[in-house]
Amino acid sequence: MSAVPVQTLPAPRRGEPAAAPARRLRLVPDAVRGRKPRIAYAIIALGAIILVAAAQLVLSVAMTQGAYELDSLRVQQTKLERDRQIVGEELDALQSPQNLARNAEELGMVPNTTPVYLRLSDGAVLGQPQAAGGGAAASGPLVPNSLIADVPLVNQPLAGDNASGGAVTEPPSDADQPIVPPGALPTPDTH
Amino acid sequence: MKQTSRYPMRRVVVAGALLIAFVAVFVVKLVEIQVVRADEYNAEAEQVRSDSRTVYGARGDIVDANGTVLADSVMRYDITLSPKQAKAREAEDPGQLQRNATELGAALGIPAEHVLTVIEQSLAADADSDFAYLAKQVDVAAYDRVAALKVPWVYSQEHPGRIYPNGAVAGNLLGWITADGEPAGGLEAAQDQCLAGVDGEVSSLHSLKDWVDIPGTERTVKEAQPGGTLQLTIDADLQWEVQRILAARVAEVGAEWGMVTVMNAKTGELIAVADVPTVDPNDPSSTDAEDRGSRSFSAPFEPGSTFKALTAASVLDAGQADPTSGVVAPYRITPGNADINDSDYHDDERLTLTGVLIDSSNTGMSQFGERVSDQQRYQDMLDFGLGTESEVGFPAEASGDLNGGPDYWATDDQTKYATMFGQGLTTTAVQIASAYQTLANHGVRMPVQLVRGCEHADGSVTGKPDQTPREVVSAQAADQTTAMLERVYLEGWLADQWNIPGYRVAAKTGTAQVADGEGGYRSEYLVSVSGYAPADDPQYVVSVSIFDAVTMNSSAASAPVFRDVMSQVLKKYRTVPSGAPAPELPASW
Repeated sequence: MSAVPVQTLPAPRRGEPAAAPARRLRLVPDAVRGRKPRIAYAIIALGAIILVAAAQLVLSVAMTQGAYELDSLRVQQTKLERDRQIVGEELDALQSPQNLARNAEELGMVPNTTPVYLRLSDGAVLGQPQAAGGGAAASGPLVPNSLIADVPLVNQPLAGDNASGGAVTEPPSDADQPIVPPGALPTPDTH
Repeated sequence: MKQTSRYPMRRVVVAGALLIAFVAVFVVKLVEIQVVRADEYNAEAEQVRSDSRTVYGARGDIVDANGTVLADSVMRYDITLSPKQAKAREAEDPGQLQRNATELGAALGIPAEHVLTVIEQSLAADADSDFAYLAKQVDVAAYDRVAALKVPWVYSQEHPGRIYPNGAVAGNLLGWITADGEPAGGLEAAQDQCLAGVDGEVSSLHSLKDWVDIPGTERTVKEAQPGGTLQLTIDADLQWEVQRILAARVAEVGAEWGMVTVMNAKTGELIAVADVPTVDPNDPSSTDAEDRGSRSFSAPFEPGSTFKALTAASVLDAGQADPTSGVVAPYRITPGNADINDSDYHDDERLTLTGVLIDSSNTGMSQFGERVSDQQRYQDMLDFGLGTESEVGFPAEASGDLNGGPDYWATDDQTKYATMFGQGLTTTAVQIASAYQTLANHGVRMPVQLVRGCEHADGSVTGKPDQTPREVVSAQAADQTTAMLERVYLEGWLADQWNIPGYRVAAKTGTAQVADGEGGYRSEYLVSVSGYAPADDPQYVVSVSIFDAVTMNSSAASAPVFRDVMSQVLKKYRTVPSGAPAPELPASW
């Protein structure tokens, strides 16, 4: 840029005294002063860097925190799954036919092998009614199940005085009686 | 230009070439590391930094027809220890070994001496031993007790296990899983392809200090796949009741073993297959090895007189007789080289085909049986499903032996006639049930089915059984046979012992000998009853066989089992009692 005006100058003549160049000097225009570096840019740039670093730190801390939380939850999950398995296995043993049958027998139930049907359309009795044969053999050992060896019978807590369980002669306790309020029996409110 | 003279062109070229070669070496190495051997190095790095663990693909459940779980997968734990460390600790803290052994023994339910023995034996074998099994397949509760002890030289590892919630119910069919996780016998082995899961692998990076997984680093190396659910046609409740009835009777008559097969007469599905003794798959070692399978499938026997129903159906189907056709049945006959007699001496009797079945006369049945060609009889036997394994394909299933077929029978009259009343040939209990199913189902045999199918994790079902019906004898022949078997039920010598009030029943008894596997016969008898009900619309087939009933060596041993099982089946499935009485058929003429 600066070379261009120089080329336009006439070549100095020989012997002629040099023209005073001072007249051609002038101050750098104000425009240059207007382009001084703005501190705001630096602040923004630095601020952004700090912000990113801080965010990364926070995220990293949160993630680490989360990792430990996740780990403890996993441990908890494993524990709960084990508990579920223990309870599930217990339930399986309880609902096995062997367990149901020995409890039913313990409560004095016997199977009736001759079913009788009542036909609703004409009230006809199909089949020949017969009393259930008592004293069915204890079925427990016939179809073994090693899982129920330690499972207590349903009535064991109160079977102390009636170990055979053949006849349930205990009178029902008061707790079993329905509670009837004095006065009129409650009736449903229907409209 | 002075510079050029100071560094001649040659030197520039050499320097450039060297530089390029130098860079090329790096590039080649870089490509080798990053591209060519990338996988190898990655894997190696992964191995160093990451921790991989097995995700177990659970073995599929076995469920009954109603979804009741018969075999269930559970997590078990192997408790291991380091004998070396146990010894080292003992040196630091004398007395800890005895103390910890006592506690461990209590937690695992084993004697404390066993713990010490394990340590001593491993150290004796290898003084530097760092690993020994203390207990295999302990349950979660025992694992928790051991973990609570915090013994530094005791470790544990997961080990998928199997439990059978219903114990011995269908134990004969299920098989079991050994302590090493291998299926042994029964459906566990036969259907392993359906049931077995595929273990997966997951790897992740973890912190060095406290072994916590670093988030985002978990990587599935291999997807775990659970096994399929195997559904059976068996009804667990009925199976239990049948096993109970049979076990009680086997004990009562002092028998060696017994079998009961219950089949749906319309579909050929096995609803119950009981074998006594039965293995409890939770504890197979408590049952003798030969009693752990299912004799119903694997032990062929001579069916004896129950087979006469099949011969009668063949004769009727060939149009060579009807239920009222008569013969004179003497005590003994000697057609050709054969010598045939009845079980008890009697004078000549004028019996109809019905009467032959009621009296179970061998001489009478021979006279009807010879009216049909050997070829035709043999073909009918094959069509009834005899002589080949059933469609179930049970492990070690026997095919039975028809003793050579018509070509051989033609050369041996004794075999020719014996095969008419169920001797000189063998069948399995399941085959006999299937043959009676054919008679019950108006002459149409359905394939024997034990498995409904295998349901995979994605919901697809494979292994559905073949259900193609096969007409063996005409509906008329089958129904006439049913009518005759009803007379057997009503007039046979066990009539008052197998009576099921309210229902019409078709049944036949049999007494036969069992092959000893060495070409001869065992001296004990197998007594059986096979039949179906209600006879007016047959729904269920029940076949009972009891071997070597010491206190009662006749079909009377199995008749009460037939009665109890059949009435239980009819009750369970709410079968409507029969209305009209059974048709009358003359037994003599």
